[in-house]
Amino acid sequence: MHIKNGKDFWAGLMFVGFGVWFMLVSLNYPMGSAVRMGPAYFPTVLGGLLAVLGGMVFFRAFFSKIDHPFKVFAFRPLLLVAAIVVGGATYFASDLLKDAPMVEFALTGLALLLFVGAFGPRSMFLILLACGIFGYALKPLGLVLSIVILIVVSAAGGHDFRKIEIAYLTVGLVLFGVLVFVKGLGLPFNLWPGE
Amino acid sequence: MDFALIHNLSIGFGVALSLQNLMYCFFGVLLGTLIGVLPGIGPVATIAMLLPVTFNLSPISALIMLAGIYYGAQYGGSTTAILVNLPGESSSVVTCLDGYQMARQGRAGPALAIAAMGSFFAGCVATVIIALFAPPLAEVALKFGPAEYFSLMVLGLVGATVLAHGSLVKAIAMTILGLLLGVVGTDVNSGIARFSFGISELSDGINFVVVAMGVFGFTEIIVNLEQGEAREVFVNKVTGLMPTWKDLKDSSGAILRGTALGSALGILPGGGALLSSFAAYTLEKKIGDTSKFGKGEIRGVAAPESANNAGAQTSFIPLLTLGIPSNPVMALMIGAMMIQGIAPGPQVMTERPELFWGMIASMWIGNLMLVILNLPLIGMWVKLLTVPYRMLYPSILLFCCVGVFSLSNAPFDVMLTALFGLLGYIFVKLECEPAPLILGFILGPLMEENLRRAMLLSRGDATVFFTKPISGVLLGIAVALLLITLAPAVQKTREEAFVE
Repeated sequence: MHIKNGKDFWAGLMFVGFGVWFMLVSLNYPMGSAVRMGPAYFPTVLGGLLAVLGGMVFFRAFFSKIDHPFKVFAFRPLLLVAAIVVGGATYFASDLLKDAPMVEFALTGLALLLFVGAFGPRSMFLILLACGIFGYALKPLGLVLSIVILIVVSAAGGHDFRKIEIAYLTVGLVLFGVLVFVKGLGLPFNLWPGE
Repeated sequence: MDFALIHNLSIGFGVALSLQNLMYCFFGVLLGTLIGVLPGIGPVATIAMLLPVTFNLSPISALIMLAGIYYGAQYGGSTTAILVNLPGESSSVVTCLDGYQMARQGRAGPALAIAAMGSFFAGCVATVIIALFAPPLAEVALKFGPAEYFSLMVLGLVGATVLAHGSLVKAIAMTILGLLLGVVGTDVNSGIARFSFGISELSDGINFVVVAMGVFGFTEIIVNLEQGEAREVFVNKVTGLMPTWKDLKDSSGAILRGTALGSALGILPGGGALLSSFAAYTLEKKIGDTSKFGKGEIRGVAAPESANNAGAQTSFIPLLTLGIPSNPVMALMIGAMMIQGIAPGPQVMTERPELFWGMIASMWIGNLMLVILNLPLIGMWVKLLTVPYRMLYPSILLFCCVGVFSLSNAPFDVMLTALFGLLGYIFVKLECEPAPLILGFILGPLMEENLRRAMLLSRGDATVFFTKPISGVLLGIAVALLLITLAPAVQKTREEAFVE
């Protein structure tokens, strides 16, 4: 069989995956009846529908009149496997890691990084990384340092990184953030570490 | 009835003309124009970002400001489309075709002026249409029970899929995926936390802003960076704003047709600014002398720009009367109302008339402000376009992250948004339209709740959805819509309409 439409092929797989996953997880909850629907009823029915539709999209990929290459975006299977291994190990070892929450946090983070890194261009990885760090750094490091990290890391994802321009931008946004977010809008952020 | 309308409008203008609300209206349309002009950030991301801030405002000020952002963005989007050949807003895609050509011929001024005039006219008409049609519709909606609401939501979702770009099957699948994601969190009936895997943040469900910001905001930045930037700005060529008498004569018909079409399509579920502008351009190309289209035809600017503004405004009708969002921006407006403790639905109009009429009056005032903001200040907006994207996107990211974080001061939300950004990138690459997913996501819990109630009331008899008259008609329309779309002849023209 020849895959004509790569986009449909992967989209179909994705929908089937999501549908089956929602159905499988729903097995843990009571189904109820049509009169008194349990928590599993709605997601099971919809998951089944999604899987069927996904199957349609998947098979359409072989007969499609529209040609799309099989390779739709950059994909690194090794990183995905590594992400699943690290993530799975962390999940099943969660009892062992109870006394070491920092280790569990670091392993989960690593699994997520590997997962995000498995797809798409380098700029996406850096941008999403910058946002993730910003979220987790905001409380411990304070707003000022978090903004610096966010701007520098995300700017590194662009096409040309101009040091002086980024420095000005960072200073400007730090000032803006402190004045508008904290002083103006009254958002409860600390400015520096350990405040 | 006429007396009631005047009475209601006077309440509305009384509310909207208070100094505080005028200020928020101005702020909203100014911000809307700004993000409309800037490619890469749209009303969805902006409204999502401002949601946490609106918590401290009065409900009416908050809604006036957020509404202003949406229709303000329609004005701003045309500026970028005409001068840079880039849609500042997705609804201005078709304006690029003829608007940019006009700019290349040194007629950027008239193009911008006609776009603003058409938008203003359309905005005024749409305001009147909301004032006229919303109250009777709300009256009907008050009679709705769970079965009717369920069917109405089915119709809304079907509408959204039928009107989405590209493949119908994929659009339906995206809707269902959205419904499923909406189900994540604690089930109200049994108290069981579904799909949360012991993560406490997930047991409250996924916040709507997280999904919208990830799938729209982050994804847009990633895709923009991947494509690289190539811009040619006609900064110095904006001379002589005034259109000639012939321009006015040529475009007046197009403005009227665009307004009418946009107002009608805005009300449809799944409709709004984007669909309206496409449809208006397609219609215009079928009427009269079509030889100049694509080569700087002024009608090609006037019609879609009037239509997208009319559509943006009339899409408030289903939100205000039925409590059902017809597009992602309206879904965010529901979020804004809920933050303020207002349950969206037909009762808003009777219980909080000052809110409903104040918002409508503010739309007219806001449109007036927009004409003033756009025409004389055009030079300022043009300057903004010279800011390079490499400086713009880190700033946008900062706003997005701060907005998401402040939802509940949770780092987890920021991380989840990043993951939705990844998912959104995959959607774009696989040509899966994200708008139906967002609609499904917001309607998921509501649909499940109404389905359960309806089935409980009918003792498990599913035929109730077809035997109740209103519900049956709604489902009938939904089925008919699907069948029409599946008919091969329509499928063909539909592809053409979206390709252009």
